[in-house]
Amino acid sequence: MNAERLDSFREFVDTRSSALLKTAVLLCGGDQHAGEDLLQTALVKAAGRWQRIDEPEAYVRRILYRQQVSRWRLKWRRREVSVAEPPEAGTGVADAAAAAELRLVMREALSRLTARQRTVLVLRYFEDLPEADVARLLGCTVGTVRSTTHRSLARLRSLAPELAALGPADAERRSAPDYAPVEVRP
Amino acid sequence: MNVDELVRDALREQAAEQAPAGAGLADRVLAVRRRRRTRRIAALAAATVAVVAVAVAVPVLDSDRGNDVRPADVVPKTEVTAHPDQSPPRDLIAAGNTALAAYYIPKTVKKTSDTAVYQRTYWLLNQKTGTYEKTTKWSWVAVAPGMKTAAVLEQDLPASRIGLLDLTTGKVERWIPVDHGVGGLAFSRDGSKLVATTYGENPDLRVKMEGSDGWDQKQPSSRTGFHVLDVASGKGSWSEVALGSENDPDEPMGGGFLNSRQDFALTGDGTHVWAGHPMGDIGKQFFDLSGAEVSVPAKDKYLEWYVEAGKSPDGRLVAGQFAGEKWKTSSWVVDAVTGKRTEVHGQQLLAWVGNSSLVAWDIAKGGKNEFHQRLVLVTIGSDKIVPLSDFRKGSDGDAGRWEPVFAER
Repeated sequence: MNAERLDSFREFVDTRSSALLKTAVLLCGGDQHAGEDLLQTALVKAAGRWQRIDEPEAYVRRILYRQQVSRWRLKWRRREVSVAEPPEAGTGVADAAAAAELRLVMREALSRLTARQRTVLVLRYFEDLPEADVARLLGCTVGTVRSTTHRSLARLRSLAPELAALGPADAERRSAPDYAPVEVRP
Repeated sequence: MNVDELVRDALREQAAEQAPAGAGLADRVLAVRRRRRTRRIAALAAATVAVVAVAVAVPVLDSDRGNDVRPADVVPKTEVTAHPDQSPPRDLIAAGNTALAAYYIPKTVKKTSDTAVYQRTYWLLNQKTGTYEKTTKWSWVAVAPGMKTAAVLEQDLPASRIGLLDLTTGKVERWIPVDHGVGGLAFSRDGSKLVATTYGENPDLRVKMEGSDGWDQKQPSSRTGFHVLDVASGKGSWSEVALGSENDPDEPMGGGFLNSRQDFALTGDGTHVWAGHPMGDIGKQFFDLSGAEVSVPAKDKYLEWYVEAGKSPDGRLVAGQFAGEKWKTSSWVVDAVTGKRTEVHGQQLLAWVGNSSLVAWDIAKGGKNEFHQRLVLVTIGSDKIVPLSDFRKGSDGDAGRWEPVFAER
């Protein structure tokens, strides 16, 4: 690897690592250390092939997603994530405060999904990727993406009863006869 | 508000709060590569145990039995011999034609203040008593199909000779001298050939890396090549396999990382020699028997070096990595031609039993500790899990954890 490539790798990491870290931490359910580990491991892999990578960011992101769903151990090694205590709900709470509270509840619930479930939701709703792109990135069928999305949202509702009042997502309205079985952690 | 809108908002809020990545990440990544402390990658889908590439499954019987080291009275066996109360096992464990021929307990033994050796103590099956007996003579044991013969290496690796141990008498019948030091052995599926991986220094050497509390593999790997030997005559050839400039420790972006022990094995049909290549493009390398590197044979493209079970005896299926979709712990079994994946119970696939069952490590149903595994028999398309041993204790790398060695009986 020549100096030019080395510089291009450093430049990529310096300019893109903050954005990549955001995704990595979300994939790890808000666990900062696990997210840093995940990103570092992905970058080590990418560094090994730097000369042959055409689109570095797409490549690193693909490693992040796939690594996260294949590293099943993380499901159990997940450290406890501290989430600020939601304020007491009560009458007279301003809408903004209630919305902030719901987001915290959602964040905690997201951290309790399996890595696979969370990855699909991050790709669909944070990265705003269409189902077909998610399927391609994770190496599964669109049907599996749909069923995983549906079950992940259902799981969120069961984890946080506060979410019961929310309307259904598009993914929940659609009937999906091709649901693949998906692990649901007790 | 819909639930997906809230998911989106919550994720965006969380991302917005995220502190930027710390300075120096590029340097840390390059340092990791430079020091080749990438065990985590090599071990992504498997425990950090060395691959025990012994022949594990029922072979296609060769009509020419002149070179066959298996006893003549091999008959298909169907029964299961389980000891779900034993860990490590004291008495024979077997399923069908596949038996736990031996097991070893590894220990990292400190040699100097900054070096140690990852040492295996073996327990070999005494076929008369049906019990496992400890031996400290061997640093490496590969059991030939038929369980009549094992190829062994003495304690100081790399070894200058390979012993052919008669498992019924416990005596070495023959020594095969080799001119390049050997660190690992694996039989072909029919037992007629032996591939011996050669190293410049002990592949199980561990060193203290700067800034690390534990023992690390020594990098770069000292692997030099392989011998392919005819078991009956002891004759064969050695092929050099260069690590290439990519493995130069001063080359921070090199893609040629190898584990310090990265042993070769023969493919199911015995026509190629292959090994894992963790940082390579396809994660493995193939050679013909004369040592020329070849592209991956079509029927071997789904082999994973860290999945011990490898190919089914009929060559149609390949044991794959952890799946975890349908069940909490499960693995893929992959069609060798089409790549179609089928999920089967079992956390880690260790050995085939016929063409549709496998011995695997698995945790208890509802188990919380991924390392508390026992040997189980699982079958493709079946929910039945037959325990074969008791659970292992401790975590990966803890003292006292036993590692199985399977062979066709």
